[in-house]
Amino acid sequence: MTRTARWGWVITLVTLTGVAGVLAFLLSVGTTSERGFFERHYHWLFWVNVAVAAVLTLVILVAAVRLVLRVRRGRFGSRLLLKLAGIFALVGVVPGLMIYAVSYQFVNRSIETWFDVKLASALEAGLNLGRGTLDAMVADLGNRTRDAAEQFADAGAPQLLALERLRDKLGVRTVALVGGNGQILLESGGDTSQLTPDRPSRTLLDKARGSVVTQLEGLEDEAQALQGGARIRALALLPNTELRLGLGERYLMVVQRVPAAILGNALAVQAANSEYQQRALERVGLRRMYLGTLTLVLILAVFAALLLAVTLGNQLARPLLMLADGVRQVAQGDLSVRPVLASRDELGGLTRSFADMTGQLADAREQVQRSVAELESARTHLQTILDNLTAGVLVFDAAGALETVNPGATRILRLPLSAYVGRPLTEVPGLAEFAAALDARFEQHLGPDPAERDMDRELWQESFELQLDPQQEPLSLLVRGAPLPQRARLVVFDDISEVVSAQRSAAWSEVARRLAHEIKNPLTPIQLSAERLQHKLEAKLEGTDQAMLVRSVATIVNQVQAMKQLVNEFRDYARLPSAQLKPLDLNALIQEVLSLYAEPQENGRLVADLGPNLPCIKGDASQLRQVIHNLVQNALDAVQDRADGRVVVRSSLSLTDAGKPRAVRLHILDNGHGFAEKVLKRAFEPYVTTKSKGTGLGLAVVKKIADEHAARVSLRNLHPTVDAGSPPDDGREAAVIGAQVSLSFSNLAPAAEPGASSAKT
Amino acid sequence: MTLVRAVIVAWLAALIALTPGASRAEGVELAQLSTQRGEDGLELSFNTRFELSRAAEDALNKGVPLYFVAEFAVLRSRWYWRDARIARGERTWRLEWKPLWRQYRVSTGGLEQSFATLDEALSVLRGQSAWRIAEPKDIEDSGNYYLEFSYRLDVSQLPRPMQIGLQAGFALSVEQKRGFNADFSLKP
Repeated sequence: MTRTARWGWVITLVTLTGVAGVLAFLLSVGTTSERGFFERHYHWLFWVNVAVAAVLTLVILVAAVRLVLRVRRGRFGSRLLLKLAGIFALVGVVPGLMIYAVSYQFVNRSIETWFDVKLASALEAGLNLGRGTLDAMVADLGNRTRDAAEQFADAGAPQLLALERLRDKLGVRTVALVGGNGQILLESGGDTSQLTPDRPSRTLLDKARGSVVTQLEGLEDEAQALQGGARIRALALLPNTELRLGLGERYLMVVQRVPAAILGNALAVQAANSEYQQRALERVGLRRMYLGTLTLVLILAVFAALLLAVTLGNQLARPLLMLADGVRQVAQGDLSVRPVLASRDELGGLTRSFADMTGQLADAREQVQRSVAELESARTHLQTILDNLTAGVLVFDAAGALETVNPGATRILRLPLSAYVGRPLTEVPGLAEFAAALDARFEQHLGPDPAERDMDRELWQESFELQLDPQQEPLSLLVRGAPLPQRARLVVFDDISEVVSAQRSAAWSEVARRLAHEIKNPLTPIQLSAERLQHKLEAKLEGTDQAMLVRSVATIVNQVQAMKQLVNEFRDYARLPSAQLKPLDLNALIQEVLSLYAEPQENGRLVADLGPNLPCIKGDASQLRQVIHNLVQNALDAVQDRADGRVVVRSSLSLTDAGKPRAVRLHILDNGHGFAEKVLKRAFEPYVTTKSKGTGLGLAVVKKIADEHAARVSLRNLHPTVDAGSPPDDGREAAVIGAQVSLSFSNLAPAAEPGASSAKT
Repeated sequence: MTLVRAVIVAWLAALIALTPGASRAEGVELAQLSTQRGEDGLELSFNTRFELSRAAEDALNKGVPLYFVAEFAVLRSRWYWRDARIARGERTWRLEWKPLWRQYRVSTGGLEQSFATLDEALSVLRGQSAWRIAEPKDIEDSGNYYLEFSYRLDVSQLPRPMQIGLQAGFALSVEQKRGFNADFSLKP
């Protein structure tokens, strides 16, 4: 049970108690039974009602204070509640007050009108009339009795007959002679139902001694009095004429019935008078009772009306408040599901519709968010692709300003292109020519009429040689252009310097192969011819001629031998046999090769620095032997003219982050002059050499073999202060203190292969 | 222990508070109250002195009957339980003015008497003598007996509206609580 429901129950109970109390109170006022339950508990009921009224007052005060506090604090909806409660309270209280005012006046006036001076005096007069009539009857009977007694005395001895006559004459019920002690001497008439005639009391006899005495009797029981029980008794002393002692005093007693009609009327008047007087006395109490009840009913009714007002106001305001609250929350962006009122009226329908609307809004928003997220992820995906693209991508807008640059472009051109976004490409230093060329190509491919463009025709492809740095080789770029919608332009370019180099290499090897073939063929006949010349002519010549012949033939043979060697090298370069990859231990191979260089090792010009525990690599032992041989020889050549020349052959293992072997490295370092910049760039192309004597094929062969082994070859000059390998940061060339050639073999043989050690060559 | 003591103290306090006062009076003086143990039980005699107020006399003269009630109860003290009630009884006098006969009428228990003056009528209902209140067997065992006696003008029998707008002057009552001696005469 919720708190509100509990409150509702409490209030209902209090109200019901109040209503029941008022009803009981009214019942107690209106009932006619003499001493019923409600009469006995009248006070108790009254106070219960007062207590209920007090409780209701308290409840209403608390409710009012709460409401006012809410309004003061600006709690949401309290104003509406206050207004509704006020209206309902007005509707309830005002009619109640009007009815109360009218009823108050009515009760006051009508109670007053009951009590009338004329009525009071009339009743008084009626009472007096009855009293006078009875008094007159009594007095009359007394007089007549006295007269009769005097006559009786004159007549002498009273006889029964005389009594009878007297009774007839007086027209009364009983006439009797009573003795001095009250005993009945003679009686005429009398009550037949009584055996002993009623005797006058002693006090009455005493009083009668003076004169006649009259008395009303039988009035104690009014019902009996009306049936003839009421009577007048008169007693008169008989004058004693015959002074006979012993006879004593005698009395004449006359009893007459009071007529029932007179008595009845008199009693009725008395009762009415008494009642009227009582009512007059009760007037204050009655008024107080009626008005008290009225006021109590008013208070309870007003309180009930106020409570109902608050309750109804709450009831009516709740859905509205719910809606308003919902609207406010929706406006703040909270689209969670709204509560729905269970009632089936229009307000309930309104809340349901509102909840539906909110739900639809929430759905729509969720859909929008989902599609936005999808778009975002697609965009991110595209951006990722663009960022990781090795090719450079540039997008120009309609005005020719740079719009998009990917990191590939920056890397290829080695220019901070992203700083020039929003500006034309011509502003980038060194690129003005390139930009002009691009524009020209675009203009060239642009159709005269934009409406008749053929997209395929507008795509173009061209290679550029771009000289950005005069000290460096020009960049070979393959540039593709495409128009984009809204007159934007897309340019994609690749650095094809490597490709060009490779092509050059391939061309050279072809040239070498053919040249070798063409040259080699005549060499043997030349040598043979020369040797034959010497053989035939040596004996026939003498002296200086012979010596000249021998020297010339030797020269020819030597030159032919040299030429043969040259040709063989060319052939070897062009026609290296494909590598037979087998597991092999690099250290063992190095040591084997170095054993041929015993002399430089002995005088400290050649030092081996081999890393321990190297895993086996997959390689062709004979080819690698040639590689090591070439490199060591090159290095030794480079330091030949230096007294402190020193060559280091170093092998090492590089590990991945997880600690697994990644590659085996071979470094050959020397402290010679290093490579010239120009050479460094194209060292692996044939016929590029630093040596005065050499074919220039050494490194080309190395490169070729390394390619066969999927190994990476790198050349770099060593600089003194900075770490080996890192380029000079300020652009100024630091002094070269040596050169380094590195080979990195990442094609490792399986680690635990048992044949690894046996495969040593 | 403290709790037990507190409970006992509270119980005693409640007992004292509930014990009716020894005597209370409002407008009535109890001139005499005595009991006597006779052959056929215990007899009570009492006599009061009071005058009717103007308001009461006015009401009487306007035909409102007044009721006077004398109540008694004989109880025996019991320390272990509520006091045992040995006997109880009440006597009601109805005093009424009959304007037609100009008489005051006093009726009690079926007996009716008429009086010409108010004083005569009041003298009848002011007291009572030899009112038998207990049978001999009821008071045989020796115990600690006491008497509760009250005499009052019974307002609750007035007409109801009058009770609501009751003016002062109708409050006439006296109450007394007296212990019995060994011979069942009242202790002073």
